[in-house]
Amino acid sequence: MSLIKKITKIREMSSLLFLVILFGVVGLINSDFLTPTSLINCLNDSVVFTLLACGIAFTIFTGEIDVSIGAILGITAAVTSTMLVNGSSWIVAVMVGIIIGAVIGIFNGWGVAYLGIPSLIFTLGTNGIIRGSIYVYTKGAWVENLPVWFTKLSQFKLVGNLTAYYTITLVAVIAASLILTRTRKGKYFIAVGDNASGATLVGIPTKKTKMLAYILSGVFAAVAGIIYSSRIGFITPTAGSGYEMRAIAACVLGGISLSGGLGSLIGASIGAIIMSSVSRILVFLGFSSDYDNTITGVLLITIVVVDALAQNRSAIKNRRQRLMARTALLPPAKGEKQHEH
Amino acid sequence: MNINSSLIQFRSSIKSTVKRWETVLTFLLLSEFIVFSLANEKFTFARMLLSINDIISICIISLFVTFVMVTGGIDIQAGSIVGLTSIVIGVSWQDGGMNIWGAVIVSVIVAALCGALSGFFVAYCGVQPMIVTLGGSFLFSGIALLISKISSTESYKGISGFPDSFTQIAKYKLFGVISSQLLIFIALIIICYFLLHKSKYGRSVFLVGVNHEASEYSGINSRLVVMSTYILSGIGASIAGIVLTAYLGTAKSDIGVTFTLPIITAVVLGGTLSTGGKGSIFGTALAAVVIGVLRFGLPLSFKISTQYLDIPVGILLLAVVIGRALASNPKTSAFFNKLLRKKSVG
Amino acid sequence: MAQENQAPKHVPMICVKGIYKSFGMNAVLKGIDLSVYPGEVVALIGGNGAGKSTLMKIIMGIYQQDKGDIEISGEKVNLSKPSVALAHGIYMVPQEPMLFPNMTVEENITIGFSEKTSELRKRLIELMDEIGWHLDLHRKANSLSIAEQQLVEILRGLLRNARILILDEPTSALTFDEVKSLFKCVNDLKAKGIGIIYITHRLGEVFEIATQVAILRDGIVTLSGQVGDFTREMLVKGLLPTDMDGNEAKEGIGGNSDIDYNGLEPVLELKDFSGYGFSNINLKVYPGEILGVAGVVGAGRTELASTIFGRDKVLGGKVYLNGKDITGLPTAKVLEAGINYVPEDRHLHGLFKIRDIAENTTSSVLYRNFMGKLFINNKYEHAETQRYVENFRIKVTGHDQPAGSLSGGNQQKVVIARSLITKPKLVILDEPTRGIDAAARGDVYRIIAQLRSEGVSVMLISSDMEEIVELSDRAVTVYQGRLNGEFRKADINQDNLMAASFGVTGERKVDL
Repeated sequence: MSLIKKITKIREMSSLLFLVILFGVVGLINSDFLTPTSLINCLNDSVVFTLLACGIAFTIFTGEIDVSIGAILGITAAVTSTMLVNGSSWIVAVMVGIIIGAVIGIFNGWGVAYLGIPSLIFTLGTNGIIRGSIYVYTKGAWVENLPVWFTKLSQFKLVGNLTAYYTITLVAVIAASLILTRTRKGKYFIAVGDNASGATLVGIPTKKTKMLAYILSGVFAAVAGIIYSSRIGFITPTAGSGYEMRAIAACVLGGISLSGGLGSLIGASIGAIIMSSVSRILVFLGFSSDYDNTITGVLLITIVVVDALAQNRSAIKNRRQRLMARTALLPPAKGEKQHEH
Repeated sequence: MNINSSLIQFRSSIKSTVKRWETVLTFLLLSEFIVFSLANEKFTFARMLLSINDIISICIISLFVTFVMVTGGIDIQAGSIVGLTSIVIGVSWQDGGMNIWGAVIVSVIVAALCGALSGFFVAYCGVQPMIVTLGGSFLFSGIALLISKISSTESYKGISGFPDSFTQIAKYKLFGVISSQLLIFIALIIICYFLLHKSKYGRSVFLVGVNHEASEYSGINSRLVVMSTYILSGIGASIAGIVLTAYLGTAKSDIGVTFTLPIITAVVLGGTLSTGGKGSIFGTALAAVVIGVLRFGLPLSFKISTQYLDIPVGILLLAVVIGRALASNPKTSAFFNKLLRKKSVG
Repeated sequence: MAQENQAPKHVPMICVKGIYKSFGMNAVLKGIDLSVYPGEVVALIGGNGAGKSTLMKIIMGIYQQDKGDIEISGEKVNLSKPSVALAHGIYMVPQEPMLFPNMTVEENITIGFSEKTSELRKRLIELMDEIGWHLDLHRKANSLSIAEQQLVEILRGLLRNARILILDEPTSALTFDEVKSLFKCVNDLKAKGIGIIYITHRLGEVFEIATQVAILRDGIVTLSGQVGDFTREMLVKGLLPTDMDGNEAKEGIGGNSDIDYNGLEPVLELKDFSGYGFSNINLKVYPGEILGVAGVVGAGRTELASTIFGRDKVLGGKVYLNGKDITGLPTAKVLEAGINYVPEDRHLHGLFKIRDIAENTTSSVLYRNFMGKLFINNKYEHAETQRYVENFRIKVTGHDQPAGSLSGGNQQKVVIARSLITKPKLVILDEPTRGIDAAARGDVYRIIAQLRSEGVSVMLISSDMEEIVELSDRAVTVYQGRLNGEFRKADINQDNLMAASFGVTGERKVDL
């Protein structure tokens, strides 16, 4: 019994449960949704969001945020695709894309970790600059005619019907998750978000950790951009617009606390599956895509409010319990004079 | 005595800093005018006044978002509420058969309710403002779209054919030159100024922004104050939506979506601390105009495409926050102090 | 335990020389010299705001000294950040536990170590067995009591094999048994040659566990030496400012007029008042008196005050102000009724640091009519602020000076002004002289005396026993959330208060 209790207490379990229930309900209404093909498609389609959500999760763990990831996806997609169209070797194109993500990450990390600028504001600024830069780079035009082999890659199936992209992403996420929870340096991320000053006190390099979080966020977003290019086949200047918000929503749905210190990459991945499935689900339920935003908004607000209420409730409960414990009656004092002055 | 003189220095430097920031902004504005008009003689004050409409919405909303950010919060749903306001006016008037002014009032109430909803979650449930208003931006733009579907008109067309009395809100020109939108903006600046800086309510907004707990200990209902700022912000967005709809002559559900970055930039550029407790209506107004002129002048005088405009705005935002961070960093200020001391001694 | 660090006995493990540190205009440390030799336990005593925590934070690398040197085993070091201090074998167990709330006990203790988890767990379990403390390693830190959190902090230091261990008021939330095991632990560490700095305000502990003692007052070390060379009285004397008598003088402030309690109706009456952190409090406060409320940290006094003030839920009982039932009213209504509260933590609950002093002072009367109907009446605001600036001798450059730039003492005066501007019938002062200099303290006492002479009642919550002895007309002690002693003026002395605060009572209740 206690094992089951332990399991349900894990935040990821609630997200998984939510996912299962959600899919179950949809399946009841329209059984086509629950066919293996349909389900596998859900997973495959969530690859971009999974990468974005896991990337941003690093920054959220440390108690910050990165709203420039959508723009990083866009610019990486644009640059890498353009390079491929122009005949560059794929290695170079991919490397350039990743370097772009890393450089932007370093810039973000510098502003937030070393200058102490509030992360929302700073990454909002970076976001704007990158978005505009995409237009400059593409001169407002679409990037099209990507090499066929590149776009075909997105169909390539590795394990059963799971695409290579998703499988590799999943493996990477699991590996990263293990590093975060099992290695000494990996635990720093959550520690910094949980209690930044406490972390400094035990010698954890807070600034470096945050900087690393932003670099990871940028790199993950860059990889997401490359995969996005491969899947979609053409890049518009507004590619990735608004994705950062969905990535944040995915993290919240996956049990990650926006104040930091709580959550896991597995949770983020589950949340990403939910977020990317929303439009698909609406189709299966017979709703037009017009309901997309509304449903996403309701979902997000509900999850976040419930989570905040629960956390506040338990924080208040804990505090009150501690206070009550102080007034608990002790066995009568044996008249010790030892503590008297 | 050493302490006294450094106290006096400190105090005068604070005073001048506050004064200085608005001076900086004015200086920035003036230099924009000079640069743009030099680059292209078509850039004139008159022409700008005529084209004020594009930037007025951002200016108006920024004034009200200032209240939210003074409490340490943020509002990224304002843009969506603009579109919601617009379509509510359109649908209530056209399909609901309401009097146009009734429709306007309904739209303001709807916007206020949207603000109240998010404000409630922030203030009473303790949710982070960013994530609530994020959800709100999805929700309200989604609802706006759904409302537009109710209408008999196709949503991409937008509802038009409004009575002149309504469109005159935006099209009327005092003395034939000064746009009514500008007048509305100025009126709102005055109202918001008195509300934030001179009224008891405004004082409570500042106090809550600095220290939520200490405000409670002073008997101020912090949570109500916080929630009220989001309601104000919603109303501000609806005013912008009304003006914009009147100007365009069409009600559409998706106007306003790109406003978020410029609004936040305007408030931050205007001197409001994102951590709360400090802010200025005049600063925001000036900063909004600076940004607006930037977005107007760059395409006109330098042929920069409107799509690139986020770059200068983003750079401006980063420049301000980085500059502020460096200025308050003890290492850099010590460095500057050394420089200054050398100058005064030598 | 693991490795034994037997450092040469003639070289101090750590030695600080001539340490100066100021925060803005506030000079906290004015030339500190301190040495800790291997196997020594140096008890560091000092009143509130004497600078103990600041000194420790400098040693831990959290702050950097403005002037002065630190030597570890004879070598000069630059402790620029905590990881450097940790690398030198310094570990501080902070007064307020700084754990990671969402991590388990085990994770909290073992974070930052490079050994394997299983190895660390083994060592940790061995350690816990040796000391006799047993904590469930899998519990989340946010579910622990403060005492348990402190244990975790101490374990962190022990597992690190620190060579210099700083314990900052470690027993403030521990039970008797836990304190005993801590002392055993400290003795073990002594034997291993580890140097310990033990900060406490409990003189009894000094004689029990320490080998050296140093008294910090107003930023300098006023007394230091072997514990055996001192008596309790000498220590107390070293703690007090030089112009005051060191014993339990019963000099009332503002004259020796005793209050005639005959036939007096209480201003405030608590009947079986219970809340989170306190239970069944029966208390009366009379007009024009100062009621001292003594007790150790965590006894529940602040919780009592803040619940009366409407900051937390009432669990039972009643509160009457001049006969009117104000139980459970929200803060704004409590203010209106006539009670105000100067909070224990002025930084958290009392000050609006980046706003100016006028705004701070008038924040509690913001909604009163005389501040203006809709707009703020600036004239009134400045007139009132000036009144308090003059009356309280608050050193400011102008009404527009931000409150955060004032010295501690002046900040406290602003917070007190904020509480008095509502013209309360009863003011609750919670640690009003904590962290302020002697001159400001004198001013605060003068203000309290003035209140008394104006007929305003004062409930004075303080951990400073001398303060309570000096100022109170009557005093009560709170222990574990319950009132366990009531004393009339003649019986108010440090012995009685201290004993009762630690739960040792002779059941001496005084009926009025």
